[in-house]
Amino acid sequence: MRPDLDPEQLDRYSRHIIMNDVGPEGQAALLDTDVLVVGAGGLGAPVLQYLAAAGIGRLGIVDDDVVERSNLQRQVIHGDDDVGRPKVDSAAEFVTGLNPDVTVDRHELRLARENATDLVADYDIVVDASDNFATRFLVNDACTLSGTPFSHGAIFQFEGQVTTFSGDSPCYRCLFPEAPPEGTVPDCATAGVLGVLPGTIGCMQATEVVKLAMDYGETLEGRLVAYDAAEMSFEEIPVAAKPDCPVCGDDPAIASVADASYEGRCSLAED
Amino acid sequence: MEWKLFAHLRDAADGQSVSVDIEEDATVETALDALLASRPALAEEVLDENEELADHIRVLVNGEDPFAAADGLATAVDEETELALFPPVSGG
Repeated sequence: MRPDLDPEQLDRYSRHIIMNDVGPEGQAALLDTDVLVVGAGGLGAPVLQYLAAAGIGRLGIVDDDVVERSNLQRQVIHGDDDVGRPKVDSAAEFVTGLNPDVTVDRHELRLARENATDLVADYDIVVDASDNFATRFLVNDACTLSGTPFSHGAIFQFEGQVTTFSGDSPCYRCLFPEAPPEGTVPDCATAGVLGVLPGTIGCMQATEVVKLAMDYGETLEGRLVAYDAAEMSFEEIPVAAKPDCPVCGDDPAIASVADASYEGRCSLAED
Repeated sequence: MEWKLFAHLRDAADGQSVSVDIEEDATVETALDALLASRPALAEEVLDENEELADHIRVLVNGEDPFAAADGLATAVDEETELALFPPVSGG
């Protein structure tokens, strides 16, 4: 951990440093943490904003999409002039503009079986801010198999789900062993989403990452918060380790991401 | 008794909660049957090809997983029990 902060950092992070429960040590921990954010869309936008502002030392951004006008209703790090540009470029510019202290790694690619293990290995904490089940199961498996803590956030219309996994057990597959059959659970493009919803859920994910980085407080490990923006209600759903979990159970069938398929149900690979 | 539904299941049931009548010796399973009889469109969303509760749908009994904390679908329920069906969502 860095022993000291330079004068500009002492100024920039003064409202952190002044808190007894953060202090220069907590800020130094944030500056020494590397976080991989998978998805620079609705959830990724507030995650990147607050992690950049908090002074996370290195932020990796994974996304293979370009900014579309229909994204701007919720993806607040991209502007009208960014339409047509790669999201990683627009997101990286936002982060650097907000806080030049942060090193940004642009990964303009889709997280895949071939690259997930190596990408995850290069970071301390992963944020699942993706928009599809295939990526979500891949993030879970790559993180759980490598013991990397990760934050899970997902949204649907007025509802959000957010939880934190330590990288050990339980994992997302303890809750949902397989993805739903394709087409049964609609995505944002089909079902729509309240623009501010990913702001709320993404901010909760960023909060969890900051706490993990500083090793402070109680995370959402073992419980999933189901948020309903229409009712302004929060419910907790228990997340318990399942002995027959295919990834973190007693006799796991998935020992590497090569053992699973990340299409359709995201279950065991045929080969 | 009341079933609470989350995410796209609300669309299929045309509401976020559904009241059903149950017998005295009701279980999660018979309460689920009553729900699906009342809202047939839900069956396609929560049952698999074998007409059993799909792997990706979590059932909650008073906020807990009955497969971990009780007798699964055979768990006894009464008028006061809070039942819920909870699917994963993927949007980001």
